[in-house]
Amino acid sequence: MALSREEAAQALQEIASTERRSTTLRRYRGAAPHLMLWGVLWAVGYGLTEAIPARAGATWTVIVVVGIAAGTLMTFRQSDRTVGWRFAAMMATLVVFCIATLVIMAPIEGRQTAAFVPLVIAACYVIAGIWFGPRYVVAGVALAALTLGGFFLLRSYFFAWMAVVGGGALLLAGFWLTRD
Amino acid sequence: MSRADDIIHQPVRLKIMAALNALRPGEAIEFTRLKAIVAATDGNLGAHIATLEQAAYVTVSKDFNGRKPRTRIAMTRGGRRAFAQHVAYLRDILDGDPIKEGKV
Repeated sequence: MALSREEAAQALQEIASTERRSTTLRRYRGAAPHLMLWGVLWAVGYGLTEAIPARAGATWTVIVVVGIAAGTLMTFRQSDRTVGWRFAAMMATLVVFCIATLVIMAPIEGRQTAAFVPLVIAACYVIAGIWFGPRYVVAGVALAALTLGGFFLLRSYFFAWMAVVGGGALLLAGFWLTRD
Repeated sequence: MSRADDIIHQPVRLKIMAALNALRPGEAIEFTRLKAIVAATDGNLGAHIATLEQAAYVTVSKDFNGRKPRTRIAMTRGGRRAFAQHVAYLRDILDGDPIKEGKV
């Protein structure tokens, strides 16, 4: 086989581009169950917050613990132990950051807390998307827009809005990530 | 060590091997997703996969996902080695190896 430099360069470019696409789709597939999990948890969490606002603290403590535990287990099954522990550390970091920020900003009302955390998550998705694929960017921007829209335009129904639309958006985004 | 591989170098097969190379060792990809990545038709993709399977570069497994039949393709260790050698061969050409360019 005798190839010119141009043919070799083109072949290498094709290889790089195909590997990139394959990696991106594999990452999307890996992330999809996590978004769907949190879509369900948000629907339950915000729904319970709407129904029993006095128990919001306990509700979200349980939701977050269940979410992190389930997500970590899924990651251990999908990948190896190192990745699983890194995932758990990442989630713990996010939780600590959110709690620390809310403590510093106190006193704030429940609605503000309920909007702040989704905005942090949305920012994380956009940052991930800048490096790993545009679908994360779209998911992050949509989540932020829905959160801000509900916060400013639906003051009395914000928790219900986040349960249905916020949770629904995460579920839909998760299904979208499974598509080729 | 670099080595040209005529089986791998065909455009569709090159993309198939590149797509599989991006997976973890032993990890398989579904036919439908490979088709989307490589942008080939069912028949075309199937024929090239058969060629790679005959060369023992890939393995093909068929099972059911619920009631839906599913075909998955994974690269073998030999396939990974052959692909790495072919990529090294291509890079040698870019680095100006006249033998590999067929000038000597």
